[in-house]
Amino acid sequence: MGTATGIIKALNSGVKHLARKRFTLRYPEQKLKFVGDGYRYDPVTGVGVAGLKGRHMLFHDHCTGCQLCSIACEGVAEAIAMVKVPESHKHNKKSIMPQIDYGKCVFCGLCVDACPFYALYMSNDYELSSFTKEGLIYTPAQLQVKPHVSQDAEIQITDRGATHG
Amino acid sequence: MSTQLPPGLQLEKVDERIMTLNVGPQHPGSGHMRIIVQIDGDYIVACDPDPGYVHRGEEKMAEYRNYITNIPHLERPVIHDSCNILYPYVLGAEELLGIEVPERAKYVRVIAAELNRCVYTLYWLAIYGIFLGHSTMFMWPTGDRELFIDLLEKLTGARVTHAYFIPGGVRNDMPANFEDVCLRQVGYFEKRIAEYADVFYDNPILISRTADTGILSRNDAIRLGTTGSVLRASGVDYDVRKKEPYDVYDSMDFETNILKAGDAYARSKVPWLDMMESCRIIRDALSKMPKSGSVRTKLKPNPKGGDTSVYKRVESGRGALGCHIVSRKKPEPYRVKLSVGSFRNLIAMPYLLKGEKLGNMPSVYWSLNYWPVEADR
Repeated sequence: MGTATGIIKALNSGVKHLARKRFTLRYPEQKLKFVGDGYRYDPVTGVGVAGLKGRHMLFHDHCTGCQLCSIACEGVAEAIAMVKVPESHKHNKKSIMPQIDYGKCVFCGLCVDACPFYALYMSNDYELSSFTKEGLIYTPAQLQVKPHVSQDAEIQITDRGATHG
Repeated sequence: MSTQLPPGLQLEKVDERIMTLNVGPQHPGSGHMRIIVQIDGDYIVACDPDPGYVHRGEEKMAEYRNYITNIPHLERPVIHDSCNILYPYVLGAEELLGIEVPERAKYVRVIAAELNRCVYTLYWLAIYGIFLGHSTMFMWPTGDRELFIDLLEKLTGARVTHAYFIPGGVRNDMPANFEDVCLRQVGYFEKRIAEYADVFYDNPILISRTADTGILSRNDAIRLGTTGSVLRASGVDYDVRKKEPYDVYDSMDFETNILKAGDAYARSKVPWLDMMESCRIIRDALSKMPKSGSVRTKLKPNPKGGDTSVYKRVESGRGALGCHIVSRKKPEPYRVKLSVGSFRNLIAMPYLLKGEKLGNMPSVYWSLNYWPVEADR
């Protein structure tokens, strides 16, 4: 192929894209939709349930303070510390629950795999930025709040190319 | 000016014609490494790649963590190809711990590994565009990479560092409608990748930058121990997926792409052709996989290996990637050694650049399919 033909062909291929829709996700206005409500784990079957590995969700009514999540995190990020909680539960004699430092967490989800009591899940919330280091430390009370997420953009494939909804 | 230098210091002898030039480590055209080139005018006389700026001690760290907690940090050397870098470790750990993997998990692994190979190759191609000053070549692969990142995010729950493979299978099963979404997006990508030929691979400007530069002959490629796309671009038929099939690659329908030229153009084209084969493997695996069944064998807490060692090898985005695990009856491995494709390919660089123009250095360097962080580990 000649040089001129090749360049015209390349330009032509680019010009065709002028009429196509933009693929870019306009992030703060649009947010990607994820499958399910986040990564979870079923200790009976030993298999996880697909979902985004975002901020954790702690269920105070299930947590027994067994520290298995903290032990699982020891070799990974040392992000989980067990802290005293004011309320007392019958199933949590020591009244300790995990507190997670998102400045250290790598979102691998091995703590969720370690929990045998269905107390720790991960949620779709990934917007965790903070101006201070202390703001990244989530106490058990903060972790039990269900995140409010409005995520609806999905990759849509049409004849005119792929777009984000 | 005193001619007496303090002890331990000495002046470098300067040649009249030859100039020594440091490219990197703080240079956008070098990656996280330094390339010391000696130039005579515009021609490179000698070249000495100097890696090691991003050494993180992954292998040493692996000696202090057990077989499960090793997973999140071992994928850090190549976060774009995290499934493939975990693959040999997981295969080795399974043999050491004596775990059987469910059939469905093997197929899910193959799909995740091939999706990840596409993510890595597209990123690599995008950087190659930057190196050559072709901004469309940067933006198109970066945009199309999103298709695979989206699929992996649905499958594994993370966009880059998945921590998805685990001794005994994979962490979670596929989500409900994954198969349809995967086929749709991979089908779109297959149409899209054909367009790359017009803009990049048949583009005379790109060909003039890459063709006939840094020619690696077939014998040299074997002698220097290169691997992956570099080896296949020099006409050697070698792909670990074909030669030593692991998991279910022996039943997959795909071909090895071989080009004979051995120049930077051929080395940049082989990964592109490999991506098409990856799409074929993904389709094949989705159709052949068992529709139901477990994907993970439950592990005992703190599993211990025997008094043996094991070596496993897989084909990553950069070539053969081996993992040697030595076990001494403890929950932690005694030694984990990663043998990575990037470092093997870097060895060819001084031979390729000798006699080239300095301006051809970026196109030869990045065509070696080299990832600095992986080479340093």
